[in-house]
Amino acid sequence: MKRLAQELSLEGQPGAFAGSLMNSSADLVARACQGEQEAFRLIFERYSRPIISFIYDLVGDRELAEDLTQETFVRAHRGLKALREEAKLSTWLFGIAKNVARESLRSRTRQQQRVELDDAAVLDLSDRGPAPVDQLLDRELNGVIRRSLAALDDDKRMVFTLKILHQCSYEEIAEITGFSIPKLKTDLHRARVEMRRRIGPYVRV
Amino acid sequence: MKCNECLNLLGAYLDGEANERQADQVRAHLTTCAQCENQFEALTAENEIYTRYDREIQISPAIWNRIAARINAEDRQIERGSKFSLAEWVSGLFAMPSLRFAMPTVALIAIALVVGLAYWRTRPLPTKPDTTAKVNNVAPPTSGKEPQVTNPEIERPTPLDQAPASAPIVASNSKRPRINTSRSTDQSDVLPDVAFTDIEDRDTASHLEQAQNLLLSFRSIKYSDTDEEVDVSYERVESRRLLNENVVLRRDAEMTGKFPAKTMLGSLEPFLIDIANLPDKAKPSDVRQITDRVQKTEIVAELRGY
Repeated sequence: MKRLAQELSLEGQPGAFAGSLMNSSADLVARACQGEQEAFRLIFERYSRPIISFIYDLVGDRELAEDLTQETFVRAHRGLKALREEAKLSTWLFGIAKNVARESLRSRTRQQQRVELDDAAVLDLSDRGPAPVDQLLDRELNGVIRRSLAALDDDKRMVFTLKILHQCSYEEIAEITGFSIPKLKTDLHRARVEMRRRIGPYVRV
Repeated sequence: MKCNECLNLLGAYLDGEANERQADQVRAHLTTCAQCENQFEALTAENEIYTRYDREIQISPAIWNRIAARINAEDRQIERGSKFSLAEWVSGLFAMPSLRFAMPTVALIAIALVVGLAYWRTRPLPTKPDTTAKVNNVAPPTSGKEPQVTNPEIERPTPLDQAPASAPIVASNSKRPRINTSRSTDQSDVLPDVAFTDIEDRDTASHLEQAQNLLLSFRSIKYSDTDEEVDVSYERVESRRLLNENVVLRRDAEMTGKFPAKTMLGSLEPFLIDIANLPDKAKPSDVRQITDRVQKTEIVAELRGY
């Protein structure tokens, strides 16, 4: 939970100064709009981790996630002036990332995605040196979660990722995805059931 | 609160999405129901598993460097687009022409040429001055030959009077010669246009040409004496149209003192009346009566010679 909190907050982010009035999101956006690249770099540093994680959850490929993160921030820079004042910067960035990832997913076949994901999971378990049992279990669990996410359909994976892995509210998810609240509730419930079936053996009650 | 209601709300409760009243009800139910409490613990354990999910992703500085490079390139492009550069403008004057719009331009010119040519071909001819007509009117006749109808639309039928006597009259009129019912726009195809000095004469010439074609068509209808009826619907309709036209032109010719035209139109009119008054399916005897008269009076030759 702490790691997630870190991903979504300013804590530990280089170049970001939590609590500084000068570096509030609105202020950074205003400065970046005036052409100050340093302000945009701070926006990148603040949001790059949650954005790349979100994209990775959707596409399941590290290199591709890096490329798509780059594309997301270039598009964000281009459209920064169009950002409405009342819109939340993180929600807006997640929305761009969702579009970029979806465009990429559309251009790849589902079969290719599965092969890449399976290969990544095998590499995770085999190409490293000896590790403690807990660490091995964690790696195995990472692989299981990754494969389980990949097995969900696109809508369910997106809703599940935003809610469970990125702690977005229903309203934020609706804004990012364009889904209605009832639809995303249904998708989330079904995604939970499917995920539970796969990760059940690892859950210790 | 019942168990199924509680279970339905557990996810929202855990996500912090249940409203205050729902949250109170769930909390109250969980304290009294061990089964739902177990479900709640299972869900919490699941969420705990997801918090341990480590994607092992590092943010490489190269990502920002690539972003910065692209942003700078885009900014430069925007600046270049907005600034007027004299050097670029001058070099543009001497640069190789871009062929980007070459094809559309060529296509536009080609279309303009085609339209222009079509207009030039179909433009209304100006009224010829009288002097031209006079000069040409005194020109010697072209060795007594009849002016030729060269309209390609007309497949001229073999007149019965020119057909071999032994030629059988077959019971088929399906291959009726096609007649161009529209007025010819280029009167030079019909008769030498120098012979006409005004629009009325042109109208008369066109009318007589169409009448000639009608009579040729009528004369060429193929049928046998054993046929009960002959389809003359096309000729009948055409004849009615020409009859109306004929009456108007004949009166005009009479009023303007053009007696040869008046005589010609007057000779033609009874044939048009006869054909116009036939039923669509005429008796072979009635058709034969008219064709015999056409042949006997040599009206077609008269029309050609006009």
